[in-house]
Parts: sequence; structure tokens; C-alpha cells
Amino acid sequence: MTSTLDLAADGALTVSVRGVTHRYPGADGRALLALDGVDLDVRAGEFVSIVGPSGCGKSTLLRLVAGLIASQAGGIEVLGGTPGDAQRAHALGLVAQEPGLLPWRDVAANVRLPLDVTRTPDGARVNALLEQVGIADFAGYRPGALSGGMRQRVALARALVHRPRLLLMDEPFGALDELSREAMRVELLRIWEQERIAVLFVTHSVAEAVLLSDRVVVMSGRPGRVRAVIDVPLPRPRGEAQESSAAFIETAAAVRAALRAGDDGGAA
Amino acid sequence: MNGPAAEFSMPRSSWAAAVLPPVVALTAILALWEVYVRVRDVKDYLLPPPSAVFRALWDDPDRFASAAATSLTAALGGLVLASGIAFGLAVLAAHSRVLERAIYPPALLVKVTPIVALYPLLAIWFGFGIGPKVAIAALITFFPMLVNAIVGLRSVDPQALDAMRVLAASRWEIFRRLRFPSSLPYVFAALRISVPLSLVGAVVAEFLSGSSGMGQLILIANGAFDTASLFGAVFVLAALGVSLTALVGYVEGRVLDWHVSAGA
Ligand SMILES: Nc1ncnc2c1ncn2[C@@H]1O[C@H](COP(=O)(O)OP(=O)(O)OP(=O)(O)O)[C@@H](O)[C@H]1O
Ligand SMILES: [Mg+2]
Repeated sequence: MTSTLDLAADGALTVSVRGVTHRYPGADGRALLALDGVDLDVRAGEFVSIVGPSGCGKSTLLRLVAGLIASQAGGIEVLGGTPGDAQRAHALGLVAQEPGLLPWRDVAANVRLPLDVTRTPDGARVNALLEQVGIADFAGYRPGALSGGMRQRVALARALVHRPRLLLMDEPFGALDELSREAMRVELLRIWEQERIAVLFVTHSVAEAVLLSDRVVVMSGRPGRVRAVIDVPLPRPRGEAQESSAAFIETAAAVRAALRAGDDGGAA
Repeated sequence: MNGPAAEFSMPRSSWAAAVLPPVVALTAILALWEVYVRVRDVKDYLLPPPSAVFRALWDDPDRFASAAATSLTAALGGLVLASGIAFGLAVLAAHSRVLERAIYPPALLVKVTPIVALYPLLAIWFGFGIGPKVAIAALITFFPMLVNAIVGLRSVDPQALDAMRVLAASRWEIFRRLRFPSSLPYVFAALRISVPLSLVGAVVAEFLSGSSGMGQLILIANGAFDTASLFGAVFVLAALGVSLTALVGYVEGRVLDWHVSAGA
């Protein structure tokens, strides 16, 4: 854990988003302003969450950082280069709300996919990750035979297998039941502490954001703007037990207040 | 009482449940047909009894076998040719909307044109041998494969695609690891449609050319009022269609054991 903190402390920026504005072509011919002048930093090894109302552009922001959509205005740097450079350096891992597994591959082969694509076979790494996310017993199963929670574990292992330096997660536990969600949070914390990589994490759950993150970025509704960035002062390693600590409750209250600030027309 | 036991015996009984009804129904139809023809004393040239049809097949199996081989070669030749070209074009179309818009109208033209009308032209171009038969079978099976393959190659799971794109995976990597396997259920659906169509194409071409194969055999039998042989040819063609479709189904089951349709 101390090394995680060291990495965070050295201040190197894994993600730097500056004044990013993004428009989609709207149905009625007018452009839809999805993001408006967004700034965002993720330092090396840091866990940053984004919360905000539905449709505020969280996924858009994440996909811009991932290089999955082309940026229109403003600057996006990932690991000192463009998102495309980060892709080519195999420095990115992605977990979305749906696992997106290949149904014809078994669990182990799904986890191996990034190594196949990048032609860097590493059977030991695959096995270690299967162990880490707790699905080693199902290595030979096809995704169709797994529960939703288990599929999402496979997706997480796949996103990590090539040792990315930035993990991008878009409501990764959004489709899971509450119990699986809680289990996955704890697993993610454990894995993050082992892998020591930067995480950019989109969620609708304030409690999830506070429990996991070093900082929580609160966005406002359309057009998406950053309304507040809230530091989470909870010590690491973290666990569910901390949800009843005063610091947790205070921080969660601050995040909720920032989320609500727009409702009555005020800006934080 | 013994519910679980009944459940465990499911696979075997469901296999029997799948095979028995059609066999029983088919046997019943043949039996009724036989009885009807004998009781009403129907003339052989109008409707021979099944026993006469089987006797015709039995008396000269080589005639039917060689005609069937000729037709089958033309049908499968056309099918393979058309499926290969259609899949290749579908790969291009799936990667570019512009190419898709260029490929679709001529393909649609091929689809809506009554292919049979092209026969004289095809005969001029390809002679009177296997050429025009292959061409007709190919033209008739081209469109189902093209359309299905384009849809299939596009039907990739967007999350899986994203997972590959963040690794800067090349088009080729995405094609072979994602697009191609995703397209297979659609390719097999196309084959189920086009396999029987290819037989239709070959036999129709043989009707028109009268040169060889099952089509010619039927024409000759017809001219000789040999209705039993005519029915024999129909039986053989039906058996070919059923066997080829079953073969496609079998290969599909092996290749697509991961697909949701496999469990059904
Ligand atoms: N491909 C697209 N084309 C047009 N508009 C889009 C597209 N993707 C997103 N939008 C619009 O941009 C806005 C932001 O979408 P985005 O998916 O980034 O929001 P979000 O914060 O992730 O929402 P949610 O919390 O519901 O996932 C929405 O109004 C959405 O309708
Ligand atoms: Mg979203």
C-alpha cells in the first residue's frame, strides 16, 4: 500500500483532461452538447471515480480517454501521449457494464484475449488473474454457463491481464445484484492494491465511489461539467467496515450535496 | 412420483421424440398411398404405388446415382462458388458503408431477376455442360449468403469490440477473433436456405438444357410415361435435400456449440 501511495505522491499524471468539450449530432439536426469544458486529472496509481446524473457524459468522457471516440476540442493526455498512443502501448484496460465476453471462448481463453491480440503469451499471468478474481474453478467454462457476477469477474481479469497502467471502468457493477456488487468492490480494492495501477471509475453509487476512491469527481447534468472534486480522506487498505466511519459518512454527504447542488439552480 | 428420474431420461426420449414422429408419419403416408392406389386401381402413369417407385429405383440404381451425382456436383459447385464470393463481398461491405451501398443494388438486381430467364445467355457463355448449371445454382444462392454474412459480420458485441479496440487491435485481429466467429450463426442460417436452393437451381438448369443429371432423367421419364422413375427421381432429390440440410445442421451443431441456438 505504501508503494501505491508513493506512486500517487510522485505526481505523475496518468490522465490529463483539459477543457474537453464534446458534441453529438442530435436527432433534430442540432448538435447535442454532451461535455462542456471538462478538466480531469488521474495521477499514477490513483483511484478516481466519476459520479453524476444519467446522461451527463460520464461514458463519453471515459470513451474519450480510452481513445474509442475522437476528441473534438480540448486536450486529452494519457500517460504523456494521446489516447491512441496509450492503446498502442497496451496500457489501457476497459470494463463496461456488460462483460462483452466471446461466447465461443472458455473463461481462460477470454481472459487471455488481450495477450493473443498483443502476441505476448503468458499462461502464468492468466492463471494468476483467474485465481485473483476467484474464477479459477471455472477456467474451462464458457461464459454462457456463468452467472452475471462471474462474467463480470472474467471481464475484470481480461482488462488486467496485459498489465495495463490505466484501468477504465464504466459502471462495471451496474448490472449486478447488491450482494455481488459488494463482493466485487472488495475484490476490486484488493486487486487494485496489488496491481498498483490508476483507475478511472464511473458509477451511480455514491457509497461505491467514496469507498473505492482517492478522489470523487462530481459532474453536473447536461451539458456535462465538473462541479466538484472531493478528496476521500479514508485510510487504506479499505473495507466495507469503513462505511460506518465518520469520515466516510461526511465525505458521502459532501458528494451528495455536490450532486444536488444543481437541482436548485445553484452552482458549487 | 419419479419426476427426477423422468427428467434424467429426457435426452434419450427427446431424441426418439424427434425422430419417431416424422418416420411414423412418412410410413403412414406411403402406406395410405399404396393402399389407395391398389384399392382404386389407379393407372401407373397417373400415380404409381410407392412399391413401384422403389422397384424402379432398385432395378437401375446406377441411372439414379449417376444423375444425382451430376446434379449434386453442379449444385454444390454453384453453392460453394457463390458462398465464397458472397462472403468475400460481405467482408468488404461490413467494413465500409460506401462499399455496402455499392454492392447492394447489383446484388438486389440478381435477387429480383428471375434467374431462369438468364439461362439462354448462360448457355451461350458457358456451353451446355456443367457451366450454366453451376452458374444458375450460384446466382440463386448468392443473395442469402451475402445478406446474412453482412448482418453477421456487423453483429459483433459492442463491448467485446471496445475491449479489442483499446488494445489497438488491427482490423485483421478484430476480424478473425471477433467478426468472423460472430458471423457464423448467420452464415449457417444462409446455408440452410441456400443448400436446397442450389439443388433447385441445378435441376431447373437441367430441365432447360436436357443434357444430363436429375433434370434430364425426369424429362426422359416424363416423355416415356414412366411415372415410377419420375417419382423415383423426386424421392432421390428429396433425400438429397434432407441429407444436405441434416449435414449443415450437424456441422452447425459442432461449430456453434457455444451459440444460444445450440441448447434448443
Ligand atoms: N453515440 C451517440 N450519439 C448521439 N448522442 C449520444 C451518443 N452517445 C451519447 N449521447 C448523448 O450524450 C449524452 C451523454 O451520454 P453519456 O452516455 O456519456 O452519458 P452518461 O453520463 O454515461 O449516462 P449514464 O449514466 O446513463 O450512463 C447523452 O445525452 C446521450 O444521449
Ligand atoms: Mg454511461
